[in-house]
Amino acid sequence: MSDALLQALADVTGRLDIWFIVLASACYGVFVGAVPGLTATMAVALFVPIAYWMDPVGALAAIVTMVACAIFSGDLPTVFLRIPGTPASAAYAEDAYRLTRQGKAQRLLCLALTSSIAGGIIGAFLLMLLGSQLARVARMFSVTEYFWLYLLGLSCAVLVSSGGSRVKAVLALVLGLLLSTVGLSAVHIEPRFTFGIPALYQGISFIPAMIGLFGLAEVFSNLCEMSAGETPGGDVSTGDMADENWSLVRDAQDRMVRNSGGVGRSSLLGVLIGMLPGAGADIAAWVALAASKRSRPNEDNDEQLMQSIADATTANSAALAGGWIPTLVFGIPGDSVTAIVIGVLLMKNVTPGPVIFEEQPALVYSIYLIFILANLVMFPIGLLAIRLGARIVRIPRQILLPLIVLFCITGSYALNSSMFDVTTMLLMGVLGFVLNRWGVPPGPVVLGLVLGGPLEERLIQSLSASEGSLSGLVSRPLSLGLAMVTGLVFLGIVMSEIRDRRNGRIVGR
Amino acid sequence: MYFSGASRQMGIICRLAVCFLLMGLVPGCDRSSDWPVRPVTLVCPWSAGGGTDRVSRQIAIQLESELGVPVNVINATGGGGVTGHTRGAIAAADGYTLLMATVELNMLHWRGLCPITPESYRPLAKLNEDSAAIFVRADAPWQTIQELETALRETTSSVPVSGSAAGSIWHLALAGWLMERDVAADATNWISINGSAPALQELLAGGIEVVCCSIPEAAALLQGREVRCLGVMSRERCPAAPEIPTFVEQGVEWSVGGWRGLMYPPGVPEDRVEVMSAAIRRVAESAEFTQFMDDAGFNISLVYGQDFAEFLAEADAGFGAILTQPAMQQQQQAPLSPWFVPVLLIGIGVVVLGVSGVKWPAAADVSAKSSNSQSLRMPLIFCGSIVLYILSCQTVGYVISSMALLAVQFRLLRVGLFRLVLFVVLAVPALYQVFSVVLGVPLPWGMLGW
Repeated sequence: MSDALLQALADVTGRLDIWFIVLASACYGVFVGAVPGLTATMAVALFVPIAYWMDPVGALAAIVTMVACAIFSGDLPTVFLRIPGTPASAAYAEDAYRLTRQGKAQRLLCLALTSSIAGGIIGAFLLMLLGSQLARVARMFSVTEYFWLYLLGLSCAVLVSSGGSRVKAVLALVLGLLLSTVGLSAVHIEPRFTFGIPALYQGISFIPAMIGLFGLAEVFSNLCEMSAGETPGGDVSTGDMADENWSLVRDAQDRMVRNSGGVGRSSLLGVLIGMLPGAGADIAAWVALAASKRSRPNEDNDEQLMQSIADATTANSAALAGGWIPTLVFGIPGDSVTAIVIGVLLMKNVTPGPVIFEEQPALVYSIYLIFILANLVMFPIGLLAIRLGARIVRIPRQILLPLIVLFCITGSYALNSSMFDVTTMLLMGVLGFVLNRWGVPPGPVVLGLVLGGPLEERLIQSLSASEGSLSGLVSRPLSLGLAMVTGLVFLGIVMSEIRDRRNGRIVGR
Repeated sequence: MYFSGASRQMGIICRLAVCFLLMGLVPGCDRSSDWPVRPVTLVCPWSAGGGTDRVSRQIAIQLESELGVPVNVINATGGGGVTGHTRGAIAAADGYTLLMATVELNMLHWRGLCPITPESYRPLAKLNEDSAAIFVRADAPWQTIQELETALRETTSSVPVSGSAAGSIWHLALAGWLMERDVAADATNWISINGSAPALQELLAGGIEVVCCSIPEAAALLQGREVRCLGVMSRERCPAAPEIPTFVEQGVEWSVGGWRGLMYPPGVPEDRVEVMSAAIRRVAESAEFTQFMDDAGFNISLVYGQDFAEFLAEADAGFGAILTQPAMQQQQQAPLSPWFVPVLLIGIGVVVLGVSGVKWPAAADVSAKSSNSQSLRMPLIFCGSIVLYILSCQTVGYVISSMALLAVQFRLLRVGLFRLVLFVVLAVPALYQVFSVVLGVPLPWGMLGW
């Protein structure tokens, strides 16, 4: 055992080229994550051809590092521009931008950076210590449990919305779910709402939709303000710009020490959600945000809001480590990144799965070590990126807005090389603009789009396994438990809405 | 991106050189002897990381060095393969778009999902063929195919099975086997799960009893003794797992497999087909490709040109015979109609709207805001310019149309001429280089070749 650990230590820390690879892929990851439309998965897919020239440890070091950095740097455009760089940042895009408008962008990003690092490292330790035990848990989840889990995930979008906007969040969610039914349905293999247009068969891809709903919609709102001669509600470029990074980092550290319970909870949530195939960093962020907001009494307080966002960034980084649990233990990918990793490993003649622990323990230890190393390297590079990002935002708006439009277009095109996705982006931008004016949050629309397909799929799979009987949804102990939790959460939402209304009326009179 | 050693750097330098060379070329100058002169796109109908994607990327890397131009893989996923296969068939017939077709091509049109058949392509080469195999959990009572078959004959309630979506190749393989042996169609209940990896996960979780998929897809679990393979549906044993008996050995005359192959859209000039076919042949027969396929557990099966076309026609007829059987049609019935969920959602939306009585910003307020045409004019003009961009980009090319878009929008926002020119000339080519050259994400190729 210890031989393998020593071997791994020598492999990871003793090789100069590994340090170089980690550093280079950190920069690459930060760049790809920060460009809306280029996701962490895409970063890895684009890297695959280069992985051919590398040994397994090098390839894994590159992949782990670039994904961790991409998930963090997805927060950069989220905070500065309200465009989620990766889907994992969509949950808190609006809340984060609210803080940005108060000039707290850099403070928030430093906190997000340290929280991501904490989440990544705690996640790596959980993977290391509890990996095979957790994998046994993940293995018990059948389609029925996933159905309840996805429903629970959907409720998070309503949980994070405060007071009066709860109904609007539900409506946004329903809209997102409806949009997700466009295209060829995965279970029936039958076209719905396609109007005979072949391009619509693939459905509405959620990444262009996300770029449109958040990014382009924000551009439109800005244009409106500019032509109406209004001054924007707070300038992004000023505020804590003058502060030195170090004081911001110290501030972030203080906050994390005060919030250690939240960090621990979010990391655990992240790992647990990340390890379930079919739920990844994006859903982890939603759930952690909801859990964090519920645990804080005064939800409209900005300080509390900042902590909640930090918890969500902790969870989406921890989820990355979680994704490796089923990958290493069973060879079943935990998310789309690890699906590619399995391909790369097979290419290197390494078969992930139970035997990897017996045959190549050194490689497994290397993965753990790389996780920790990657998160440490992320610190200086992340700080640099924050500095650079703040400088880019200082470009005057007349120049920045068209550049953002071009980035939105290029990002949506790059995903699939299809102009159809650009059209989707544009239409979603108009939709987002309209929703903005009505005060409907765009976040739940994105969550509905992401979860709609799998939710329907799992429902129909569960029902066809039980031959159409509804009792099949609660026949297993685990699914019954999850169903009860889901029911309680839904009941809680309805109750608090009724209570708020009653209170609101009393106060109103 | 610079850590990959000399060969990668050379590749980037080559790409840069090619790009700069092309800037001066007019499209008419393409001479067939120099063909190809610009990047080739390889369409993969399945998502990144899957088996087809891995084979596509290996082919792309090797073709790149054979042809001397970049070969970019794009994953045109969705619609159970409809999206990617359609894109491959309707691509411009200039030879710059290849398709990695898969066995679904033989099946989609039989299920009325798209009009595209093998005749919609110019087949170049079949690369691989993987046979279906039957997997059960390691603690399952059945040891051979015969035992499973007996159990299925005697079962009173139908056994839940899966492997992929309903109507997929693995569904067809299983249904065909049972049909061949005259086992009642309702002995099994196919749960439509998207992909073999989640189906195997479901097998471990106990939601289903049997999975039908190919051996490389289950390799990790097979090695770890989490699942057991009862038999492979081929005439010869699988080289990647020679210990597994075939169906034929166990007395069942039944073999089915999925194939992958490269296609051109119809109408590509003959000389270009020759250049590409020769390059593909050199790649497919290279030691490097053989090594890759062996390592990944994929079964190499090379068939070229006309022979491939004949193979396709034959396979198509065979699949048609099974897919049009009433038993197969029946199995595809889902317990909920496709319109159940959308209708339910609309219902929920209406109820929530009605019960909650949500207060929208007072109607007068909204209309006052929007009637203020001053404030809405700019977003509308921006929308218009993006629509024009979408319409023109494919023909004019990324660089020109993006420059035009930026210039128009800068002008609308009253940016000074000097800064306008500076940003347009710097930003667009820089973005193009980063995406198309460094990252290898293809952007629309235009008249200027940029």
